[in-house]
Amino acid sequence: MRKLIAPILTLLLVLGLGVGIYVSVNEQLSKQSIVTVRGLIGSEKEDFFRDPLVVAALAKQGLAVEVEKAGSRQIATQYKLKDYDFAFPSGSPAAEKIKREAGVNKAYEVFFTPMAVASWKVIAGILEANGIVKQREGIYYIIDMTRLLQLIAAEKRWSDLSKNEAYNVKKSLLMGTTDVRQSNSAAMYLSLASYILNNNNIVDSAGQIGQIIQPLESLFLRQGFMENSSAGPFKDYLVMGPGKAPLVMIYESQYLEEASRANSGISDAMALLYPEPTIFTKHILIPFNDKGDRLGAALADDPELQKLAIEHGFRNRDAAGFRNFLKSHNLTVPDTLVNVVEPPTFEILEQMITMIEQRYKGN
Amino acid sequence: MKTLLRLILFIFMVLTISGCDGQKHANESLTVLAGSELKDMEPLLGDIERKTGIKLQMSYSGTLDGAEKLIVGEPTDLAWFSHGKYISLVQGDNNRILAQEKIMLSPVVLGVKTSVAKEWGWAGNPNVTWRDIAKKAANGELRYAMADPASSNSGFTALVGVATALSGSSDALSVKDIDQAQLGGFFKGQQLSAGSSGWLVDAFVKEQNRLNGIINYESVLMALNRDKRVEDSLVLIYPKEGIITADYPLMLINGEKREVYNKLVAYLTSPEFQQKMMEQTLRRPVIPQVKLSAEFASPLLVELAFPNDLAAIDKLLFSFEDKHRRSSHAFFVLDVSGSMAGGRMKSLQTALKNLTGQDQTLSGRFSRFRSRETLTFIPFDNQVYPSKTFTITDPGSQSADMQAIRQFADSLKPLGSTGIYQALQTAYRMATEARRKEPDRFYSIVLMTDGENNAGISAEGFAQYIASLPAQDQGIKTFTIVFGEANQDAMKQLADITGGSTFDGRKSLGQAFKAIRGYQ
Repeated sequence: MRKLIAPILTLLLVLGLGVGIYVSVNEQLSKQSIVTVRGLIGSEKEDFFRDPLVVAALAKQGLAVEVEKAGSRQIATQYKLKDYDFAFPSGSPAAEKIKREAGVNKAYEVFFTPMAVASWKVIAGILEANGIVKQREGIYYIIDMTRLLQLIAAEKRWSDLSKNEAYNVKKSLLMGTTDVRQSNSAAMYLSLASYILNNNNIVDSAGQIGQIIQPLESLFLRQGFMENSSAGPFKDYLVMGPGKAPLVMIYESQYLEEASRANSGISDAMALLYPEPTIFTKHILIPFNDKGDRLGAALADDPELQKLAIEHGFRNRDAAGFRNFLKSHNLTVPDTLVNVVEPPTFEILEQMITMIEQRYKGN
Repeated sequence: MKTLLRLILFIFMVLTISGCDGQKHANESLTVLAGSELKDMEPLLGDIERKTGIKLQMSYSGTLDGAEKLIVGEPTDLAWFSHGKYISLVQGDNNRILAQEKIMLSPVVLGVKTSVAKEWGWAGNPNVTWRDIAKKAANGELRYAMADPASSNSGFTALVGVATALSGSSDALSVKDIDQAQLGGFFKGQQLSAGSSGWLVDAFVKEQNRLNGIINYESVLMALNRDKRVEDSLVLIYPKEGIITADYPLMLINGEKREVYNKLVAYLTSPEFQQKMMEQTLRRPVIPQVKLSAEFASPLLVELAFPNDLAAIDKLLFSFEDKHRRSSHAFFVLDVSGSMAGGRMKSLQTALKNLTGQDQTLSGRFSRFRSRETLTFIPFDNQVYPSKTFTITDPGSQSADMQAIRQFADSLKPLGSTGIYQALQTAYRMATEARRKEPDRFYSIVLMTDGENNAGISAEGFAQYIASLPAQDQGIKTFTIVFGEANQDAMKQLADITGGSTFDGRKSLGQAFKAIRGYQ
C-alpha cells in the first residue's frame, strides 16, 4: 500500500498542474472578451453593482463594471466626465444636468423608486396623534404634508407637538436629507415641498419661487452639515436611532433592499412612511461612449438584470416581479402609488437650488 | 485507501488555494494622515494587515493641523480623523476627499465621578441638560478637564456641542446664536486643558483628586472605567439637549489607491472587524449587524446639528479663546546663550512673532496669543535677565500689545553660557506668586533651550526645589522644547517632574511653540 503513495502523489501533482494551467489560461481567455466599463453612480446603487449575482449577470453580457460613488448632482459639476464610460445618477433633473454637461442625448431609464421617509413606530404614532400620519392596510401615509411642512417652516420642535411623550425632545421638527446642492434625494424633497407649498401645483415661474423660497431654504439650512449622497443618512438611520434624525428622506429601494437582506438592519421599531403625494425618482444611465451604451442596454433590457434590480428594492416594468419580491420577503408596501407629482422643469429646480446655494454662501 | 486519497487531494487543494490567496494578498502599503485619537487603533493594525494584506502607515496630527495639511496638499493616500465635517467645510471647492466612509462612532460626553453624580442627582438621570452642567461649572462645583478645541477633535466637538445646546435654538449653530453669557459660565469649570485628548486623559488620571469631571469621547471615558484608572469610577452624562457623535470617516485622498481603499473599507465595515473594534476600543459599530454590547449605555442619543457655516465655527473658536476660557498666564523661559547666534535666534524670533498673529495658516490663526492672556518672557544665558510681562487687551495682529511683543522678540541678543535651572527657578517664583494673587487662571511654563546646563544650579538642585514647594504652590507644569544640542533626557525628566510634556523643536521651532498653545 505504502509503495503506491509516491506514484499517486506524482500523478496527482502532474494532473493538478495541468488543471491549474488549463484553468488559468481559460480565465485569461475569458477575461479578454470581457469589457471593463467605468462609471459614476449615486451611492444607493452601490450594493446592486457589488452583488455577485449582478456581477455574474453582467459578465454573461461580457461586461465588468467599476463604479465610483458620488452625489448625483455632484457628478455633473465635480468630475471629469471624459474619464468615465457612463454616469448613473438618480433623478431626471440630475440626469439632465449631466446630459447637458457632457453633450449627450442618449439615456436609459433603467428603473425607478418612490421617495419615502425612514422613521420609527413611536414617531409615526406621534404624527398620527397629531393628524399628520394615517395608517391604511398596515402602511403609514403622511396624509397631511402641508401641515407637516408648515410646522417645519414655523420652526416647531418635537416638544411642541401634542401627545409626544415617546419623543419629547427639544429637537427641531425637520426632515433629514442630503445636501441639496450635491445630491438628488434632497432635490426630490425640494421638488415635492415646492409643489405642496405652491398650493399643490408644480412651480413654473420665478414669481412662484419668490413666494415660497423662504420656507424652502429653511428646510435645508437649519439642518446644518449634510452629506453628499443618500447612503450616508440611511446608514445613520440604521445604527444611530431616532435621536439622530427621526424622519429621513430616502429612496424606498434603500429600505426594501435592507429589509430583504439576510441579517437585516431593519428592526420592529422602525417604520417606512409614504408622503401623500410623493414623487418618483428615475434612475437614468447616461452613456458617454459605446461601452457605456452596452451597459445601459444590458441593464434596461436584460430580464435577469431587471429581476436582480427588483431584488435590490427598485421598481421597473415588471410589476408582477416586484409583487413577488415583496411577498417572498413578507414586506408590506404600497403596490402602486397613485398620488404622485412630477418634479418641476430642470430650469426651475436649478433656480431654486441656486438660490439656496446663495444663502449657504451668506448672501 | 480512499480516505488517504481524499486526504492527499485535500492537502493539494489547500495548497493550491493558499497559493492563489497569497497572490491576492500582494502586500500593499497605504499612508494615513490620522487624528491623534486614533492611536488606540494601533493594536488592530496587525489584524488589518493579516486579513487584507494592507499595511497602514499612520502619521498623527491634531484637528486644525491635520485639516491644514490636507488643504495645502500634503501627500497622503488616506486621511482618518474623528470627524470629517470641519475638513469638508474648510476645503471648500478644493475637493481633496475622493471618497469617505464612516468606520465607527463615539459621542463626546461628560464623565463625572460617581460620588458627585449621586450627590447632584445625576446618576441614572436622563434629564440632565448642558444648562445644568453649565450652572455647576459656573458656581465652581464642577471642575473638569477638556482638550483645547483648536488642537484636539474631542475639545472641538465638545465646544460645538455645548455652544449649540446652550444657544437654545436646537438648529445648526449660526453666528447670531452663540450664547455668550452661558458659555462663559460653562468654561469657568474647565481646570485642565491640553493639546491632545490622550495627554488630557493621562493628566486627568494624575490629577483626579482635584478634578471631578472630564469631557471626552464616550470610548475614552469607558476605557478609564474598564481599566480601573480612576478611583471613583465615572458616570457618563448624555445631556438631554443632545450631543455630537464622532463618526471617524476614512477618507480617500490619493485616487490611484481607490481599489485598495475599497478593499480596506470592506474589511473595516465587516461584522468581524466591527465586533473586534467595539470590544477593544469601546467605540460603537456602524453596521446594524453588530449589536451594541451591554457595556454601552443606550439612552436615546439626541444628535445635535453640526454647523454648516464656517464663519460660525470661526467665531465660536475665537470667542472661546479670547472670551470664554479661563485666561492664562504663560511664562516663556528662553535660552539666549551664545550658541543661539545666527539662524537659531532667527527661528526663535520668528516662532514668537508668529504667535502675535503673523501666522495666517489655519492652526496659526487659532494659536496666537489670546485676549486677556498674560505673557512673561524670561531670557537667560549664564545669568537670568530681567523678565518682561505683557497682557493682551487687543488680540488683533496690528495692536499695540502684539507689536510690543514683536519688538521684544527682535531685541533678544545671544551671549554667554547656559544656566537652565536658575532661570526656571525664577520662573517658578514668579508663577507661584502670581497664582496666589489670581488663582483662577491657567499657569504654565515653557522652557526652550539649545544646550546643556553649564551654569548655576543643577538638575538635582532644581528637582529638590520643586519637591520642597508648599502644597499650594505645586502643580504648575513645564513644557520643554528640545532645540539644537539640548539634552533630550534632561528635558523629558524636567517635564515629568512638573507634570508637563516635552516637544521637539529641532524640525520646526514654530510648530513646537504652536503645539504647546493648547496646553497653556
